Amino acid sequence: MLNIVARNRVLMLLAVMAAACLALGFAAPGYLSAATASVILSNSLVLLLISLGTMLVILTRNIDVSSGSILGLSAATLGMSLNAGVSLPLAIALCVLTGMAAGALNGLLVAYLRIPSIVATLGTLGLYRGIMLIQTGGRWIEDLPQNLKALAGGIGFGISILTVTVLGLFILAWIFLRRTRFGRYFYAVGDNRDAAHHLGVPVRRVQFTAFVASGACAAIAGLIFAAQIGFIPNQAGNGVELKAIAVNVLGGVSLLGGSGSVAGVFTAAIFLTSIDSALVFLKIPAFWNDFIAGAILLIVLLLDGRIRLLIDRRIRARRYAVHARTPQGGGATGKIADKALLAEASR
Amino acid sequence: MKNILFRWEAALFLMLIAELAVFGFINPRFLNVGNLIYGTSDFVQIGLVALPLTLVIIAGGIDVSFASTIGLCAIVFGVSNFFGVPLPLAIGMALVAGALAGLLNATVIHLSKIQPLVVTLGNLYLFQGAATVLSGAVGAGGYEGIGNFPASFTSFGYAEFLGVPAPLAVFLGLAAVLVVLLHFTRFGRAVFLIGQSAEAARYSGLSVAATQTVTYVITGVCAAIAGLVMSAYFGSARVDLGAATLLPAVTAAVLGGASIYGGQGSILGTLLATFVIGYLQQGLQASGVPSQISSALSGGLLVAAVALRHGSALLADFIAVARQKRNNRASAF
Repeated sequence: MLNIVARNRVLMLLAVMAAACLALGFAAPGYLSAATASVILSNSLVLLLISLGTMLVILTRNIDVSSGSILGLSAATLGMSLNAGVSLPLAIALCVLTGMAAGALNGLLVAYLRIPSIVATLGTLGLYRGIMLIQTGGRWIEDLPQNLKALAGGIGFGISILTVTVLGLFILAWIFLRRTRFGRYFYAVGDNRDAAHHLGVPVRRVQFTAFVASGACAAIAGLIFAAQIGFIPNQAGNGVELKAIAVNVLGGVSLLGGSGSVAGVFTAAIFLTSIDSALVFLKIPAFWNDFIAGAILLIVLLLDGRIRLLIDRRIRARRYAVHARTPQGGGATGKIADKALLAEASR
Repeated sequence: MKNILFRWEAALFLMLIAELAVFGFINPRFLNVGNLIYGTSDFVQIGLVALPLTLVIIAGGIDVSFASTIGLCAIVFGVSNFFGVPLPLAIGMALVAGALAGLLNATVIHLSKIQPLVVTLGNLYLFQGAATVLSGAVGAGGYEGIGNFPASFTSFGYAEFLGVPAPLAVFLGLAAVLVVLLHFTRFGRAVFLIGQSAEAARYSGLSVAATQTVTYVITGVCAAIAGLVMSAYFGSARVDLGAATLLPAVTAAVLGGASIYGGQGSILGTLLATFVIGYLQQGLQASGVPSQISSALSGGLLVAAVALRHGSALLADFIAVARQKRNNRASAF
């Protein structure tokens, strides 16, 4: 039972979410509707993308806390070039390029100058926000052209082009991480950097790529933010990086690198967003939001940690049990049994 | 002598002098001693949390929840004041709230064995949420402040103590206590050893959990002190009082020489770094630079400082290797 819980993180999360939704459906009729689902999905787009980018970085055993500022910086680039009369495709390209350049600086600092990622990205968090403010002169960017806002409009079934883009990116990331050699390198680097290096994995290039990808994701999230909100405030994206890390932890991505799945991140982001909307339906005052989100995150962390410890202890107990059963030791049968049990334990 | 000169703190001190000289050159009025001393009240709260944070980082942990602990403790004080609790008791309650917040951090970290960054990140939300709920409970709704403090409390924000403003005096006093605690006690040595290697510390009979717990509790209490000082200075307690201290405080600890991997750092370094960061912001304002640019510069400063430290370490390695090679060649002949 314990192993099933620990190994099927996504299924567990889905089960909890389904139970919570059913309970909410009873408590607040009208919650279980297609309209709610569509609102939750479109509300979670920004968080989904930031979490995806952060996940790529965390997989390589680094962390990126600058994505909120990259979001703001690229959104500002997008808004200012649009208002200067640049066409929409070109402005979007500029926006994504800004994000990638910002990610590349992070990658340069971490992968090539070997600055601890938490320190480097904390620094760039302030740096990028400052550059954004210099760029905009501290003013909000308003009067965005209609064709940008139209991107957030529905194209049927309550979804927009943006939703399709985000889902497409998730599928791409899933294929990349599961099915390509370079994608597998991400897990190898995060799991054991030295071993990966000795196996011929281009460790630095993998880390660098992760940061650039994270920057690109944050830039597209900035595009979505601008299209959905219709204006770009100075504090756009402020604090979303912390939420994205929370999503990753909730979704079963190990902060020690090397394990985690795209599906887990997707489910966890939807889960966290649906909490916010559930509070609205339950008519709980908005000032409870942070408290409840924090409490849920903390409980999940505690449970997750305890389960992991228990499993570790069980595996160790099995290993010691082998030695206890064959006190004479050294016998061929003992060794075989030992191996079989070890194989079972590590499965 | 050489050891003193080549310490990181000496470099920081030079950085501070150079910074003051540059800003004094741009705007001579900046170098007014009164200005410099009283200007500290605007950034002393960064140091108040950066000092204990240095302890946590040296012991191999990290705490980011202090940013909302500041707000939470200020609100606890404000709410108890609102209900007519006498001043000393209200202050005591705020301090206890801070200690409990730190204790919660440490307990969850040790029960779950999950990285401190994640746990304290969760608590960053939780404490902020708790503060918002508490302030909502007395009708201060959301992000409005709680005011109407007794005059004896608010006057503290502008009081003087031995010729220096009271907030600065509190900061220097705290620094003195922590210098003794970290550099001259058994506990301090344990903090360093645990940061170097928690395993080695455990095998040599130190209680890793207890020592780390103490560092988190100290951080909580100091965050409460920062919250109280800020409430007195601004005349109101708000949920988001500490939000702006998160990045500068971590910057101060890291710039001050604390290694994010644990086992390295000093209180004096963090103290100097606090002044470097604080005067950088004020100096830029005095030179007519918009506050947006100063925020970019302080982010850039963190990156540059760390790059410099890593770069100089790499360079030192490189020189040592080159010298060794030369010696080898010399001895071969």
